[in-house]
Amino acid sequence: MLEYQIFFDYTPMLLLGFWLTIKIVVCAIALGIPLGLFLALGRRSKFLIVSFLSTSFIEVFRNTPFIIQVFLFYYVLPFYGLKLSAEYVGVLALAAFGGAYFAEIIRAGIDAVPKGQLESARAIGMTDWQAMRNVILPQTLSIVIPPLTNQTLTLIKESAILSTITVHELTMTGLMVQGETFRPFEVFIMVALLYWALNETVATLMRKFEQSIKKKRNPTSDSNSSSTVEKSEGTK
Amino acid sequence: MKFDISYTLEAFPRLLEGAFITLQVAILGFTLSVLLATTITVARTSLNSKIFNSILAFYISFIRGTPILVQIFLVYYVLPVFGLNLGPFTAGIVAITLNSAAFVTEILRGGLASVPVGQFEAAKSLGISGYALWRKIILPQTFITSIPPLVNEFTMVLKATALLSLITVVELMRVSQQIYSANYHPVEVLSGAFVIYFLMCFVVSRSSVFLENRFKVKRA
Amino acid sequence: MTSNFLEIKGLHKRFGNIAALNNVSLNVSKGEVIFVIGPSGCGKSTLLRAVNWLTPPDKGEVWLEGELVGSSSSKLTIKQSQLLNGFRARMGMVFQQFNVWPHLNVLENVVRAQLVVAKRKRADAESTALKILDQVGLQNKIDEWPDHLSGGQKQRLAIARALAMDPTLMLLDEPTSALDPELIGEVLTVLKRLVNNGMTMLIVTHELGFASEFGDRLLFMDGGEVIEEGPPKKILTMPKTKRLKMFLEKLDVTSFKKEEKL
Repeated sequence: MLEYQIFFDYTPMLLLGFWLTIKIVVCAIALGIPLGLFLALGRRSKFLIVSFLSTSFIEVFRNTPFIIQVFLFYYVLPFYGLKLSAEYVGVLALAAFGGAYFAEIIRAGIDAVPKGQLESARAIGMTDWQAMRNVILPQTLSIVIPPLTNQTLTLIKESAILSTITVHELTMTGLMVQGETFRPFEVFIMVALLYWALNETVATLMRKFEQSIKKKRNPTSDSNSSSTVEKSEGTK
Repeated sequence: MKFDISYTLEAFPRLLEGAFITLQVAILGFTLSVLLATTITVARTSLNSKIFNSILAFYISFIRGTPILVQIFLVYYVLPVFGLNLGPFTAGIVAITLNSAAFVTEILRGGLASVPVGQFEAAKSLGISGYALWRKIILPQTFITSIPPLVNEFTMVLKATALLSLITVVELMRVSQQIYSANYHPVEVLSGAFVIYFLMCFVVSRSSVFLENRFKVKRA
Repeated sequence: MTSNFLEIKGLHKRFGNIAALNNVSLNVSKGEVIFVIGPSGCGKSTLLRAVNWLTPPDKGEVWLEGELVGSSSSKLTIKQSQLLNGFRARMGMVFQQFNVWPHLNVLENVVRAQLVVAKRKRADAESTALKILDQVGLQNKIDEWPDHLSGGQKQRLAIARALAMDPTLMLLDEPTSALDPELIGEVLTVLKRLVNNGMTMLIVTHELGFASEFGDRLLFMDGGEVIEEGPPKKILTMPKTKRLKMFLEKLDVTSFKKEEKL
């Protein structure tokens, strides 16, 4: 019942779409994380207007379906005279969507760093931004990696929605192949498997990265239990 | 071009009708997914079978690792191949249920883990077992601790229903597309739908605190 | 000039209904070591944190070596907040909870602010850091991570971090209160050396023995006000006010216990 020939004939085409998916997600993350950082810091700003705008952006993009955000970007940008190709619109929409979520992740990470850390940095003469860069943000890194990874996986999956504005990424390619072959089962299983493989790869890589950071700061101990043993010995 | 709000206002009654369908689809899909996930959770704990667990792990990993849009296409285009000719509405509900059930199962796993083992033992020593044990003792505690992630999952479902427009389910997103393909004012019409989506999701996500308080008081 | 080294003029600070500082003024000469004691919530920590404007007071001014650090009457402009960062670098602060930076190793804890705030070259910053770590007895720990240090070592690291900025004044907020009794001694040793080197210091503490031996002046605060002020030995042996008497009676029991262990 399976039409194996389709796997061979259309794999190059699907891989091309897959490659565009990867490129779009990478660009969206590259834009989305700085945007998220900006929004997270903006939300903490003492200027009411800045914190209001940041909060509104975050809440609006978190509380609406991505597909309608994509459509709005697609129609609104030319409405105000900005004509971009669908790929660029897609990257911008995905970055804005991701940025709203990244912002909340980064904010939670900053909140998790003890207050004394910021105070000690400010007391030694660092500016707010220097304290963020040198003391606070590096400490949030190991806290935010797991949720940032999850959000990255979400972005990979949400990028499928860019097919609706004719971005020739993986899902769009799948729809085209299905239109040519009328073999939806083979096509969509392959599309799904490619997404799945990408997600699993990213998840595994990030887990390794997280472990390497933890090891660096606690090089002699592999687990928390051994480090607490050391601490209690030191105070006895 | 100028933003002409009269198009938004004109579209509003129909958008609200669409929003009503969206809510119905979301509530139906979410309810079914919670029922399915509860069944899975009870079965997993009671059966404790390796085969069941590995099938379950595979299912959850697949759902979490692939776009819901692709899952919707799989259900919509593939089931007819096997002779199951569901309409778009049913296919959409099935896809959303299957998707959300995977996430709800994971949520319930976390909630169940927070129920002390002693609860099972105490109930058994009192002669409570099977249906009554789950219905009266374990599941209520599991659900109460799971309220915040469940509410969050419902907003996810609410947002995901917009994708059903792509398989011609006439919900809020589809209604707005129908309107602007007739009047050629996508920005005004979509903005109206955008605001409605935002209000629905925002209210639902804020209800988490309210629900939690309500059930906590009951419990105390 | 020397008597005007640090001038604290009429500081007021309220947290809600509680007056943490109620018209506190203080003149500190260069090289003077001043201890501040008082019950918890008396405003002694707030005083220290107001000096480097970490907790900006509601009213009052702080002057360091004839320059205005901060004034409640003028708004903090960008230029002024830049100046303020410079003042803060000159006023080394040590916290009760150490607040060492866990993501940086011992050497980098001492180096980082030298690079970022003082804009020193890395080589210079590292040689300064090594010199100071040697002074506080952490020369063998330069590659260690703070999580692996004892409380006493962490506090000595925090002192080294502040000293690396070449401060003219040190502000120490209960530097030994979070330490186990047997670790207090090593931190006090480092502080004694600072006293002997002529460092100007404002120290909030409960270590009365240390205060009476090394302090030039002792301040007793309660309810946000300076109640008694004078040479430590005199104040501790002949308290004039009832409040100080009561405070000393309560503290005596605990501080003697601590000293026995030392």
